[in-house]
Amino acid sequence: MKISKHTLRSGLLALAACLAMLAPVAAHAGAVIQAIKSRGELRCGVSEGIPGFSARDANGNWSGLDIDFCRALAAALLGDPQRVAFVPLKSSMRFPALEVGKVDLLARNTTWTMEREVVLRLEFPGVLFYDGQGFMVAKKAKVRKLADLSGTTVCVEKGTNHQRNLLDYFSDHKMSVKLLVIDSASGAAQALFAGRCLAYSSDSAQLAAMRLTAPEGAKSMAILPERISKEPLGPVLKRGDDDWYALVRWVLYALIMAEERGVTRANVDNVLPKLVLYEDKNSPATALGVSPGWGQRAIKAVGNYGEMYERNVGRDSPLGIERGLNRLWDQGGLMYAPPLR
Amino acid sequence: MNDLQLYLTFAIFAAVILAIAFDVIDMALAALLGVSLMMLFGILGNEDFVAVGKTAAGPLALLFGGMVVARVLAETGIFPRIGSILLRATGGSGKRFLLLIFVIVAPVCSLLPNATTVILLAPIVIRVAQALELDFVGPMILMALISNTAGLLTLVGDPATFLVGSSIGMSFGSYLKHVSLGGLLALLSILPLLPWLMPQVWKVRRQLPAQLPVEKIERPWFVVLALVVLAIMVLLFMFGEDIPAHIAPPAVAIVGATLALLVVYGARVAPVETVIRDVDWKTLVFLAAIFCLVQGFIKTGLLQGMAFRLADGFGTDFLLVGLLLLVGIGVLSSVLANIPVVAAALVMTKGYLVAIEAVPETAMAASFVDWPIATLPVFVAMMFGATLGGNATMIGASANVVSIGICASHGQRVTFIRFMRYGLPITVVQLTVSGLYVLALSHLMH
Repeated sequence: MKISKHTLRSGLLALAACLAMLAPVAAHAGAVIQAIKSRGELRCGVSEGIPGFSARDANGNWSGLDIDFCRALAAALLGDPQRVAFVPLKSSMRFPALEVGKVDLLARNTTWTMEREVVLRLEFPGVLFYDGQGFMVAKKAKVRKLADLSGTTVCVEKGTNHQRNLLDYFSDHKMSVKLLVIDSASGAAQALFAGRCLAYSSDSAQLAAMRLTAPEGAKSMAILPERISKEPLGPVLKRGDDDWYALVRWVLYALIMAEERGVTRANVDNVLPKLVLYEDKNSPATALGVSPGWGQRAIKAVGNYGEMYERNVGRDSPLGIERGLNRLWDQGGLMYAPPLR
Repeated sequence: MNDLQLYLTFAIFAAVILAIAFDVIDMALAALLGVSLMMLFGILGNEDFVAVGKTAAGPLALLFGGMVVARVLAETGIFPRIGSILLRATGGSGKRFLLLIFVIVAPVCSLLPNATTVILLAPIVIRVAQALELDFVGPMILMALISNTAGLLTLVGDPATFLVGSSIGMSFGSYLKHVSLGGLLALLSILPLLPWLMPQVWKVRRQLPAQLPVEKIERPWFVVLALVVLAIMVLLFMFGEDIPAHIAPPAVAIVGATLALLVVYGARVAPVETVIRDVDWKTLVFLAAIFCLVQGFIKTGLLQGMAFRLADGFGTDFLLVGLLLLVGIGVLSSVLANIPVVAAALVMTKGYLVAIEAVPETAMAASFVDWPIATLPVFVAMMFGATLGGNATMIGASANVVSIGICASHGQRVTFIRFMRYGLPITVVQLTVSGLYVLALSHLMH
């Protein structure tokens, strides 16, 4: 099975020429950005239903903070906030879904931890919501503080950090607790409402969301003041695509920066050209593989970070969660965007 | 990848396989055409060629090294000598010849790279077959099939088994305890098929002359040097990864090839240019192109995405999932290079086990080794499927491609169908035997 030198050389030259033709395509954008553009749709992994973060109404329309972030990203990258496929995922399925490429990113109440970043080799481009693990109890149970839960049964959702946090906290404080581990967040809440456990422990925002589903109304439930963990929640990416990481990170920063500068959904077209969010053809947008105006499109789609927050989980929503740590840095919070220049 | 590219990928892949199967055009040209189309349609980009480089460089280096060393050894004249010894050992019996191939190839391939072994032993097998006045194609194919199967005997016998085993933290000893017996059974299951598959060889009885001619070795010192190179190569294959420099088998092949070229250059036996030109470049180009095509297939995400279908459809029924993987990966490996298939299947399997919460989320990490013993049959089934599936067709494993390449260089062109006549029945029997082994293992693990 010999091949002549001439044939071999010709074949290799043809192969090299084809490779050279492709070179400019791969130089400007990461593989994920390329794939999303080629598909014409962003695939966003979300929770199966947490009011305020990602929930679907009777008509199948999604809403929530995580949903809005995905829409902002789609607007920035694809020019249309509607070009998102939301993929509802159980906790245990979220990382496999990201790993096998079923979703482009997770915007699914996922806590940024060292283990996930270092061991699982995931990337966390920023924090969308600063949360902490709390406890919800029935008001009639007369539980006022965490110590009252010693020796009782607490419901937690399977496949989350909450179980470990809970056991660590109770062990550190020389208290005992029995866990009732349930498959889903809504299942854990239902178990509490049915009296199968005295408290349900989860991220406090999730507790606020689940409180709305209580059969006797939200006011029948109380969220204890203590927080036993730090839960910085944000988008999660598979490691390995720097351009994709940069785009997700800077879309989030653009939304925060917009709030800092008073840019809103309503005034974005008027004020943006005077601000640093304006880009020309030589801007970083080109380097990231998105068209200029990405920040403007993101803000126009969902508003600035403050607008997103208040509409979904804050004062304009049934959840009514205080901004707390999610205030801007110059208002006592942790939300801070590096300069967009 | 958009939907159009997805369908194009499957169409191109199917067209290449069919073109090879029905002998429409030259197989290397068919594969190169497929790669070119995938590039032109934007299915394969630069990042894909980087990925292909990572998976294909090792197997291609092993083949290149083996080809160079075999070519240099051919200059020594030892192949006719060993051929004479083997011929004498057959006693003129075709049956004994086939059994001897079994006895020689299986132990060697349990430790050394399959395709390299095939390249090194092929001149001897062909010589004996010709001396027995037999068509050497059957024995050559048998050698490739035995070499692929023998890869299951030890953890390091085949890159696919090593990939699966190392990804779940399986030790050499644990492999011997849990998997090797299954590999041995798969190997032995070939034996009863030989009289039926190769009757014209099995039944042959030739009268050998009382005194076989002994080939004269003209340059003994050159033979010694070449054999020293071969010995260094074999030792490094076996222990290279244990020494501080940590030399992996592909690197060993390159080092071996370089030393062999050095010997041939120093001894002025043949010009280096001639030795390199005699390397079977067409086979190497074909395999490189096949690796590119497989990258396009893997990129569709179809295989990885099966994790959720497995989780939804079968839950924690590990036995059923294991048997499904055995057959599914077996079928895929019969037409795709098994290393990238196994790499994608590992992502799928780990994703499935995390999704059903059989293991914690950290199991997605490469460093995770605390796999519950009940999950072992799933991984063992993957090893069997990936290794044995490659026996079905001539493009299923690099040893197959190499063996038909050598046949062609000796004037015997092997068609896809002809190879399948031997490969497919053996694969079906071996996968059945492996399925029974996985079944038994699953019961024992419970």
